[in-house]
Amino acid sequence: MKNIFYLIFFTIGSWTFSQEIPTTTLKDLDGSKVSLNQLIDNDNITVLSFWATWCVPCINELDAIADIYDEWKDETKVNLIAIATDDTRTKKRIRPLVNGKGWEYIVLNDDNQDLKRALNITTLPHTLVLKNNKIILRRTGYIPGAEDDLYEFIKENSN
Amino acid sequence: MKKITLIFISFHFLFSIHAQIVDGLSIGIESNSAWYNDDKKTGAFNDENNNDQDKHLRFNKYIKLDYNFLSKFTVSAQLESYEPFALINYSSNLIGTNLGTYSLTYETTKIKATIGHFYEQFGSGLIYRNWEDRQLGINNALFGGKLSYRLLDFADLTVIYGNHRVGFETSGGDIFGFNSEFDLKSIFKMNGMALSMGFSYVGREEKTDLEAINYKSLTNAYSGRVDFSYGKFYSSAEYVSKSKDAIVLANNQVSNQFIKPGSGILFNTGYSKKGFGLDATFRRLENMTFYSERDKSGNIFFENIVNYTPGLTKQHDYLLTNIFVYQAQSSVSFLDPELMKVGEIGGQLDLFYNIKKGTVIGGKYGSKIAFNGSYWAGLKGDFDYANQDYKTETFGFGNKYFSDISLEIRKKWNSKWLSIFYFVNQYYNKKEIEGNFGAKPIITNIGVIESTYKLGNGKSIRIEAQKLWSDSENHDWIGSTLEFNLNSKFSFYINDIYNSGDDSSTQTTHYYNIGGSYTKGATRIGLNYGRQRAGLLCVGGVCRFVPEATGLTASVNMSF
Repeated sequence: MKNIFYLIFFTIGSWTFSQEIPTTTLKDLDGSKVSLNQLIDNDNITVLSFWATWCVPCINELDAIADIYDEWKDETKVNLIAIATDDTRTKKRIRPLVNGKGWEYIVLNDDNQDLKRALNITTLPHTLVLKNNKIILRRTGYIPGAEDDLYEFIKENSN
Repeated sequence: MKKITLIFISFHFLFSIHAQIVDGLSIGIESNSAWYNDDKKTGAFNDENNNDQDKHLRFNKYIKLDYNFLSKFTVSAQLESYEPFALINYSSNLIGTNLGTYSLTYETTKIKATIGHFYEQFGSGLIYRNWEDRQLGINNALFGGKLSYRLLDFADLTVIYGNHRVGFETSGGDIFGFNSEFDLKSIFKMNGMALSMGFSYVGREEKTDLEAINYKSLTNAYSGRVDFSYGKFYSSAEYVSKSKDAIVLANNQVSNQFIKPGSGILFNTGYSKKGFGLDATFRRLENMTFYSERDKSGNIFFENIVNYTPGLTKQHDYLLTNIFVYQAQSSVSFLDPELMKVGEIGGQLDLFYNIKKGTVIGGKYGSKIAFNGSYWAGLKGDFDYANQDYKTETFGFGNKYFSDISLEIRKKWNSKWLSIFYFVNQYYNKKEIEGNFGAKPIITNIGVIESTYKLGNGKSIRIEAQKLWSDSENHDWIGSTLEFNLNSKFSFYINDIYNSGDDSSTQTTHYYNIGGSYTKGATRIGLNYGRQRAGLLCVGGVCRFVPEATGLTASVNMSF
């Protein structure tokens, strides 16, 4: 029985493929429903950053990017969408936190984590880079300076 | 089980041949394992839940597949394995290897239909929520059917029916519900204004073998709510009412005399603009525990739980700030004439402020300030222990249970150096919160300084120093963390907390952890050796008491 797990582990590990974002409706900070797919700009790179108000590395990452986000946008027209996975306990903190910090990202709430589950995201922060609606990079965790590597990747892949 | 092997093998060949098919496939793999030691200081390894002292090596494994095909269908399956037993602190119902959840979903722009296991939430979850939390071993997915319909682009209607997942089985009690959400913004086309309303019903039917019961097998709960925002201002309110039902006594006995209704009030308002955010929440809960089987009420594994009532306090990030943690007090508990609880009342306030760049305090990079305060008390009323009855005042505050004030200042000194200053003041009424008769309330003050320094070439170092002072001779803690990031892939840490107070269960014991992680893309492998303090493990506002344990833990997370 245990062996099945290892079999599956290695089977899946041997695949490589790109994947699309499922059709998804999330809520914006006003609580209105928004189609995520419509926000994704197919001509340019889109970054989906999954975070939560209680996740310190997530906030460190988004704070770090916020400092240089203007340059990123000017140079590559990249668009970052920050998807908060906060549930009811902390989701009321999203709007004051985002405004308080002055982040200029589009912020959406995946409050019962349907999208997070559909994309099989288990650890935060989790970053997806999309081009032509396909995931071209998945990344988890944040250490100081990792935003520079991310930007290098964005630059390489933007038109 | 052979079937599962076959399914995966055929998947493998299918996808190897037709690589383009896998565009619709998403896979998540997680493995958490532990090798528990006998600890000279804190005692031999013992797993109370499974009554086991021998199986020191444990694995919790999860593989989830989501496959979208023919553009409208999604099939989802989660295989779980707990061998030879689950990690300690997990329910003994999680044992062996089996399919944990599986479902088939059909979705168009108007309709979404699911059969099998599903996760749903009505409003804030105060009336209904299914969720999964692997760290706490929570998975209360409903096994049955769900149908959602979007009406005229402004209304969403959902019906659900099913039974809770419990371990690899399903619960006895039936759950059914209806939810409606109306987005009125699109109707009134109001400028800068958003208005939405919602109404929900949830029923729980659980038959009982007892004759002449004084309560109904069907319990009904209703929720009405409204959300409003205008420009920078926003506000929301929710009221939940639960019909009369038997109170479950401390020994899991379903009372046939003590029968009461329940209610919940939630109110939130805030104002925010660039550089400033203010948010305030009020909540009152009275007898709001709700389970698909009555006698599972208050079980520590959150099995059969229907609604979600997290503690509304700040979720702190540091070891010493998480020693005295508040849990929402939503249940009726008459332990003693001196210790009677029927719910909670209180609130919290958040403030975020960004000190601008270029000001005296802000400096070149600005400073970010976050303040949080929360206060929770029991309900005020007349409590009759002898006759098992009570009457409460709607907005009366009873005994104080908990308060917490915290201030966080983030200061970036230069492009390489960032510091966080954190201060917390807490009041924790152990007697009331934990039902611990002899305990006195404790007041603590906690200070934390954290600094991160970027060394260049992806290297960075992070240092944390923590100190907890209290008004009790039992608790006087210090703690520290050192983290070193070698590059974007490798990270190492060591931390330790130590109590020099007289608390018999923790004094003169170092609770240390040392470990590292390897991250590449969406794959993360972590290794840790250390001693875990007995206490509340909290994730997403729900907490569970975990015993002391020492050992080596390893975790693997992969997403594709």
